[in-house]
Amino acid sequence: MLLNLLPHLVNGVTLGLLFALIALGFMLILGLMEQINLAHGSLFALGAYFAFAISAPRLPLPQDLLAAWAAVPIGWRFAAALVFAPVLVAPFGVVLERLMRRTYGRDPLYGLLLTFGIAMVLEELIRAIWGTRDYMLPMPREISGGFIMLDLIWSTYRFWAAGFAILAMAGVWVIVERTRFGAMVKAGAHDPEIVQAMGIDLARLRVWVFVLGTMLAAFAGVVMAPMWGIRPHMGVDAVVPAFLIIVLGGVGSFWGAALGGLLVGLVVGLSGAYASEWSMLSMYLLLIAVVTFRARGLFGKKSVLEA
Amino acid sequence: MTHKWKAPARISRRSVLAGASALAAGSGAFMGPWKHNRVWAQGAKKPIKLGLTCDASGQYGNSGQDDMLGIRLAIDEFNAKGGVIGRKVEWITADTETNPATATRVAERFIAQEQCSFLIGAIHSGVANAITQVANKYGTVYLNTNSSAPSEAGENCSRVKFVWDGNGTNFSKAAVQNAVEKIGKKWLLLTNDYVWGHTTSASTKSLVEKAGGQIIDNLLIPQNTRDFTSYLLKVQQSKPDVIATAVGGDDIKALRQQISDLKLEDKAAWINNQQDWPDIWGAPDTLFGVFGTTWYHHLPLPGVEDFVKRWQAAYPKSPIPVPGNVSYNGYMATRELLRAIERAGSTNNLAVIKQLEGHKMSAADRMQHFDAYIDPVTHQVQQTIYLARRNAKPKDKSDLYEILSWAKPDAVLDDAAPGKCKLKADAEVPSYET
Repeated sequence: MLLNLLPHLVNGVTLGLLFALIALGFMLILGLMEQINLAHGSLFALGAYFAFAISAPRLPLPQDLLAAWAAVPIGWRFAAALVFAPVLVAPFGVVLERLMRRTYGRDPLYGLLLTFGIAMVLEELIRAIWGTRDYMLPMPREISGGFIMLDLIWSTYRFWAAGFAILAMAGVWVIVERTRFGAMVKAGAHDPEIVQAMGIDLARLRVWVFVLGTMLAAFAGVVMAPMWGIRPHMGVDAVVPAFLIIVLGGVGSFWGAALGGLLVGLVVGLSGAYASEWSMLSMYLLLIAVVTFRARGLFGKKSVLEA
Repeated sequence: MTHKWKAPARISRRSVLAGASALAAGSGAFMGPWKHNRVWAQGAKKPIKLGLTCDASGQYGNSGQDDMLGIRLAIDEFNAKGGVIGRKVEWITADTETNPATATRVAERFIAQEQCSFLIGAIHSGVANAITQVANKYGTVYLNTNSSAPSEAGENCSRVKFVWDGNGTNFSKAAVQNAVEKIGKKWLLLTNDYVWGHTTSASTKSLVEKAGGQIIDNLLIPQNTRDFTSYLLKVQQSKPDVIATAVGGDDIKALRQQISDLKLEDKAAWINNQQDWPDIWGAPDTLFGVFGTTWYHHLPLPGVEDFVKRWQAAYPKSPIPVPGNVSYNGYMATRELLRAIERAGSTNNLAVIKQLEGHKMSAADRMQHFDAYIDPVTHQVQQTIYLARRNAKPKDKSDLYEILSWAKPDAVLDDAAPGKCKLKADAEVPSYET
């Protein structure tokens, strides 16, 4: 029995890490800026498309330069995609923050509607540039394919992706909890007037938070693309679990997002194996169960969104 | 002379109810009988308006748009010849979003507000069934181009609906008997958790058991699932001889990608009930196993090459460079509808329905191996069913399939459908002419 269950527990943990990665950028902007960014999914999709452009390669470069880049081993091209796709998506975060300034301090619905509109614009932009067809991200052989564990074949890349998720989460934790930047941003979210009175440029800080959140969304898109495929509406697949995980874990809580992701992964993984028809619904049932007893989620505190 | 103001009589609840009942009865007599007999403004020059109910987003967004290309090609070809019964053919479309609720709204608007004479298009069985309900209410002829749930020509059939794709039972019949005998008796089903998946897998189960096989598990896959690892682990733990999938749209794309990555395609025999062309274009490396289809652009038959050229000339910038089964079904359905209007000499729905019921189409005309016909009992097109696998020696980049076999329509007939399908009589169908 345990031997049968063990693979699904391992799968649930890896899936949970991936869910947590998807939610990370969403958590950052919601937790530190108290803005619900519904464009998170579209930024996730943009990351996947930019990664495809870099590693396929389909870049708007002169023919000889493109041929030279295509001759570079796929492993390096994939590594470049992991680093540069989020960088290329970052300017979208700057624009997003500029557009959102008019909604600061107002009813959260304004920000919600604005980012919903931006999400639709970005999805149409993707269709206009790359068309409606699907793409597959070329992968280095070293990290794709399968390996045998517990007498079963497992996806090698899935464990790499879980590793990328751990790295991203560690990076965010260090930035938010162990740097001066993180301290200023948290203080700014808590009491913006005092922070500004201390001479800190809060407007600039907000831009950087959006850039970081945007890059994390794009990074998650790159990491998930080899498993989910690349298509214009793939963002919808990301934004729903991201939102759910943040509410489950508690708005603004880093550890809440991490634990929420893991719990959702475990529930979805186990229900997929033993009650497959419930696998999609299980995460919503988990959310209902948690918020019934803890209205602000696992580690949630009172937020301005509640005002 | 003075007029005394007189207080109005007190309006009792009873008098309101009585008045309302009288008004309802009166208007019923005036408006009745309660069916929508419509004769819209006509004229020799008035175009015939078609409502294209095609998904542009959601699980079948890509397929819906590919369907529309085939439909539009047929319309353009008729208009180039001067239209139908001397009238041009117009079309409008709206995104049905792979969502039955949206499809209901779109169909209602197309018929009641836009005055569309006919509705065409569907991939998702829930969407097709939703459109059918609305079409039934108005008597509007509806062509379900690509939804292949057996229920579409079974319990959800309709006098006003015609089903153009092969259904899950047709495809299962083409594959199951042979696979049970030659591959193995232990079968596992992967089923998309909606009408098409359920009815197709039920049909596969029945055929497997009839052939002496056994279903060891049936894993239901919710729509929009993106991570299949738990299912694939379960598949490995179950060790089946054959895995039969009834999974479609974006779900099958993600599933294929993850199976290919694990190289699981060689660990058991995979049978995909039906492989839609838009679901494999863009990821040809993930094509494996045996799968069903109704048409392929490299079939060595007269007319195929010409059709492909016409399609490509019409859509030089199409994201998918050649027509597949989905676009083909859209084209064939629309062409036959417009021909039926010509034969009827009218857009009267009952006259058009009569022209379509039992209509025979030659193999050459349909670019398939065998003659086809529209079953008058179920309104499903009975046609050649092909089994294919990935082509190891492609002629060009689009030559992805190797056609393994082709079955005659009567050999793969869905025997259960006629018993489940109850078509209305003429008198029960609201009539209209536009």
